[in-house]
Amino acid sequence: MSAKEPAAGERPPGLRLVVADDHPIWRDAVERDLAAAGLEVVGTAGDGQKAVRVCTAVRPDVLVCDLQMPGLSGVGVTAAVVPLGIKVLVLSASGEQVDVLEAVKAGATGYLLKSASAQDLVDAVRRTAVGEAVFTPGLAGLVLGEYRRTATQKGAPTLTIRETEVLRLVAKGLTAKQVAQRLVVSHRTVENHVQNTLTKLQLHNRSQLVRYALEQGLEG
Amino acid sequence: MTRPARSAARADLRLDAALWRAVSLFRCAALLYAVVAVLASFRNYRDRDFALLVLLAMAAWTAVMVLRTPPSKALLTVDLLVTLAAQQSSLLILTRHQIDTGHPTITVCWAAVPVAAWAVRSGWVAGGVAGLVVAAGAVVERQGASQATINSAVLLVLLGTVVGYLVTLSRRAERAYAEAVRLQAETAERERLAREVHDGVLQALALVARRSPDPELVQLVAGQEQALRRLVGGAAVLPTGESDLRGLLPARPGVEVAAPAEPVTLPAKVAQELAAAVAAAVDNALQHGGTTAWLLVEDEPDRVTVSVRDDGPGIPAGRLEQAARGGRLGVASSIRGRVEDLGGTVTWVSTPGQGTEVEICVSKGAGSR
Repeated sequence: MSAKEPAAGERPPGLRLVVADDHPIWRDAVERDLAAAGLEVVGTAGDGQKAVRVCTAVRPDVLVCDLQMPGLSGVGVTAAVVPLGIKVLVLSASGEQVDVLEAVKAGATGYLLKSASAQDLVDAVRRTAVGEAVFTPGLAGLVLGEYRRTATQKGAPTLTIRETEVLRLVAKGLTAKQVAQRLVVSHRTVENHVQNTLTKLQLHNRSQLVRYALEQGLEG
Repeated sequence: MTRPARSAARADLRLDAALWRAVSLFRCAALLYAVVAVLASFRNYRDRDFALLVLLAMAAWTAVMVLRTPPSKALLTVDLLVTLAAQQSSLLILTRHQIDTGHPTITVCWAAVPVAAWAVRSGWVAGGVAGLVVAAGAVVERQGASQATINSAVLLVLLGTVVGYLVTLSRRAERAYAEAVRLQAETAERERLAREVHDGVLQALALVARRSPDPELVQLVAGQEQALRRLVGGAAVLPTGESDLRGLLPARPGVEVAAPAEPVTLPAKVAQELAAAVAAAVDNALQHGGTTAWLLVEDEPDRVTVSVRDDGPGIPAGRLEQAARGGRLGVASSIRGRVEDLGGTVTWVSTPGQGTEVEICVSKGAGSR
C-alpha cells in the first residue's frame, strides 16, 4: 500500500486526533471531514473537562479544540494538554480575539476560523502535527498587538525588527511565499521567524505562571 | 425624545421627588418648632388671638405647599410673600420690648423654608436672592440691623446658595449616573446578542460555508459570517467617550481584519474620521481589481496605524506619481485630505504582483489640540 503512495512518507502516517466542541453538529462535521481525509479521530468531547480526560487517556497527536465550551474553556483545555506533548489547533467561531490570544499563549500552535474549508482544516491539522505554526492574518494581528501592548512592561518579550516585518506582512494577508519574496529570504526563514514569535510569547507566559505560583507559595 | 434624554429625565424626576420630600419635611419640622416657640412665650405676647390666627394660617399654608409639590415659580413667589407677611405680623404680636431685645419672631425658622424651596427649584442664584429677601424682611421687622439680624441674614443667604449649589451638583451627578447605567445596559444587551448569534447563526453559517459544494456560495457565506461576527463583536462607544476603532471598521465580505485583542481607543471624532478614511481606501481597493482587502490595525503608544492591502495587480514603480498628476487618484487625495486634517500621514506602497498598500497613520494626540 505504501508503494502506491510515495507521498505518504512526507506526512506523519496515521495521525490520531481528538475533536472537542460543544455543538454536536459541528463536532460530527469536523470529525467526518477529518476522517474523509484519512485522519483517525480517536475521541471526541462536548465539554472542556471531558476533552482533558479524553486527551489524557488516548494521547492524540493533535487536539482540534473549540474555544467556548461549558465547564473548562478552550484556553484551560489547551493549558492542560500541551504539557502532555499534545499539539492544539484552535477552531473559533466568533470574534473571541482575547481567548484566541490566551490559547496561543497557553501553547496552541494554530488558529483557524470555523468558516475555513474542509481542505484548509485538514492542511492545518497536518501542519500542526509536525510542529508548524498555523498562522492566519488575524492571528498575526493579535500576536503583533500583544507584543505592542507589553512593549513597555519590564521583562516582557520583544520582537526583532525582522520579526516585526514578517508579522506585519503576514497580518496584511501575504502568504509565507510572498513574504519570503518581499524580504528576499527563504520560505523556511519566514516560518522560523513566525514560530519564534509564538515561542517567545509562550515561554514568557509560562515563566509568568511559575513566578506567580512561587509568589503565591512563598506568601501562603 | 431620544433614549438618553428620556432616561436622564426619569432620573431627574426621581431626584426631584426626593428633594421636594426633604423640603416638605423641613417645612413641617419648622412649623412644629414655631408652634412650640409660640406656646412657650404665649403669655408674654401683646396680641394672643392674632398670634393663634397667624399660627393657624401658617399651618394651613404649610399643608397647601406640602400637597402641591413640585411647586411652580408662581406658587413659590406666593410662598415667599406669605412668609414675609407672617414674619411682619410679629410687629403686631410681639411687644416693642420683645422686638428690640431680639425675641424670636412668630415664624422662627419657618421663614427660611422658601429660601430652601427656591434653591431646590432654580439653583444657587435664586436661593441666594430668596435668602436676601427674607433677611431684608427681618431687618424691616426689627427696624434696624442688629448683630443678630446680620448673623441670620448671612445664614439665610448661605442656606440658599449652598443648597442651590448642592442640588445642581446632585442633578448633574444623577444625569451622569443614568447615562452610565444606560451604556452598561446597552453593552450587556450587545453581549447577549453576540452570544445568541454566536451559538446559532454563526455556527450555521460556518457549517454551510464548509459543506456546500458551490464555491461562490461558500465565499458569500464565509464573508457574511465574518461581517456578522465583527458587527456583534465590538461596542462602538466606550463609557469614557472614546471609541474602539475596531468596531468602526468596514465589516463586509471581502474585508479581512487583523487587529489587537484589546480595544484600540481614540477620541470618538478621530476614530470616526479615521474609519471613514479606511472605508474609502477599502472601497478603492475593491473597485480596482482586488477581490479581498486586508486591514491591519496597529496600536502603538503614540499612534495608531491602519494598513489596507488589496490583492490587485499593483501599480508599477513611478506610476503612482504619474497617476496622481493625471488626476486619477481622486479617491487617494480625498483619503489624504481626511487624514491630514487629523494631523496624520498616508503612505502608498505598491509591489508588482503583491497588490497595493495604503498605510494610514494617526497620532494619538490628534483631536485634543
